[in-house]
Amino acid sequence: MHIPFCYINPYTIKSSSGYTFQLQEEESDFKTHYKALEIEYPKFYKMDRLSKMAFIALNHLTQEIEFDQFEDDEIHMIFGNTSASTFVDQLFSESYSLQKSPSPSLFVYTLPNILTGELAIFKKWYGENCFYVCESFDPILFADQIAFAFQKGAKGVLCGWVESIGNKHEALMFFVKNPVSELEIIELYNNLEK
Amino acid sequence: MAIIPIYIAPIALISPLGNDLEDHKIALAKNLSGIATQPKVGFGDENWPQAKINTLPEKNRFDHLLNIGLDKIAEKFESSLLEHESTLVIISSTKGNLDLLPLNPFDGIFEMVKTKWNLKHQPILISNACISGVVAIQKAADYLRFQKFHQVIVLGIDVLSDFVTYGFQSLFALSDEPCKPYDHNRKGINLGEAFGAVLLTKDANQSNIVFHQAITSNDANHISGPSRTGEGLYRSIRKLFEVTGVKASDIAFISAHGTATLYNDDMESQAFHRSELTNTPTFSLKGYFGHTLGAAGVIETIASLFCLQDGIAYKSLGFEEEGTTCAMHICRENTKTTSKFALKTASGFGGGNAALLMEIKS
Repeated sequence: MHIPFCYINPYTIKSSSGYTFQLQEEESDFKTHYKALEIEYPKFYKMDRLSKMAFIALNHLTQEIEFDQFEDDEIHMIFGNTSASTFVDQLFSESYSLQKSPSPSLFVYTLPNILTGELAIFKKWYGENCFYVCESFDPILFADQIAFAFQKGAKGVLCGWVESIGNKHEALMFFVKNPVSELEIIELYNNLEK
Repeated sequence: MAIIPIYIAPIALISPLGNDLEDHKIALAKNLSGIATQPKVGFGDENWPQAKINTLPEKNRFDHLLNIGLDKIAEKFESSLLEHESTLVIISSTKGNLDLLPLNPFDGIFEMVKTKWNLKHQPILISNACISGVVAIQKAADYLRFQKFHQVIVLGIDVLSDFVTYGFQSLFALSDEPCKPYDHNRKGINLGEAFGAVLLTKDANQSNIVFHQAITSNDANHISGPSRTGEGLYRSIRKLFEVTGVKASDIAFISAHGTATLYNDDMESQAFHRSELTNTPTFSLKGYFGHTLGAAGVIETIASLFCLQDGIAYKSLGFEEEGTTCAMHICRENTKTTSKFALKTASGFGGGNAALLMEIKS
């Protein structure tokens, strides 16, 4: 089965529609990736890295998927990673321990599920969503949750594995309109040629 | 499709109000609060009221509380059941052990649970801000309905930390007095810490309370501010009524979110008004437990189970004078209830909203 996806790391964007974008030097704020989208969404600049990657990946998926065909609550979101919001947690912690001024704008991003909130705001999606913290990429969890979502009336499920640890940032986003097996998810993940 | 009945039962509850379920049942019925002024806990050494468990050490409170909580669960269940093929564990926590920073605050949780028990299935960890606990219970029911599991243990835990205190202080969201959910003079939240665990099972012998369904909906509005119209919460409740066939007039009480911030409580009043729940007895438990983040959905569901068992709705501690955008029926005293359905709701950062329906069988 063809699963539309988008993969992002600090050098590369790659999507199942054939789009590829390469940078010579690592870019940790994803600004060049964002500019390549040619979309006006100033909120992007305030986002943390997890949300930025998810935002960019979603916009690339729109090349392949007409999200507008769905009602505003028919798309469920299932996201996960291993590090939750550790990267921003550390920045917020430094804002009070080193800079002596706790930063409210960092604090609001010290929750990993903020990224699903950002996508919901951008697309005006009112559907169900959940963020899981896992020991490692968990294809069984995704396959199970996708199956549950369809049982409960979802028409499409947007899935994401979005990680930001130290200098390692990467995101895999994929969209399914039917249940998929754990093996299909493993195959997708293993064939990314990161 | 025939819906398999799912039963829900409390297993464990640890908070400033006590160490077991019975302690809490008594304390809540007597309207005792776990909130007390904690000296110099603010960023500028302010005194903030908090619901603090005084017996926990200052360092690694999370690991200590989790450890005690897991032992409480083990008192109730044989390890042969916990380690059975048909058992799943779901954990709800928004922040984990922040003392581990700069390392991942969630790093130790799987390890701790798996060291206690030789579980057949990888535990699932949900971090969905303040609705995490209700979502964890919802997912537990999904695993029972759609897969071969027979029982799911859901535990919710979060602890007090400088990190979270300074964060809410930086948002000007803390109250310097015991919190007053839905009151005209509410000033904000008090933070708290707790551990709670519930069992969801297909075994009718375990409980006479049925878990019907839980629905979540995003506000699609703002990452840290609630919807002005209560849209997400309203949609959650509307859909919950649709799928269960239960009507607003069937609801005995609402155990609502009620953080005592200006905007949250106004938002809830709008959502309940739109759901025709204006006259339904409503209370917030934040005046008892403070806001316990990832634990809140679980411990407040446990308190709602007590209410169903005793046929009452708890007094909403801190409420004196009406002061929300839409009228509400806030419980000024413990209130006798006449129907068998309980509605539990939660809302949180990231725009999340959740509504959960339970029923006591006679």
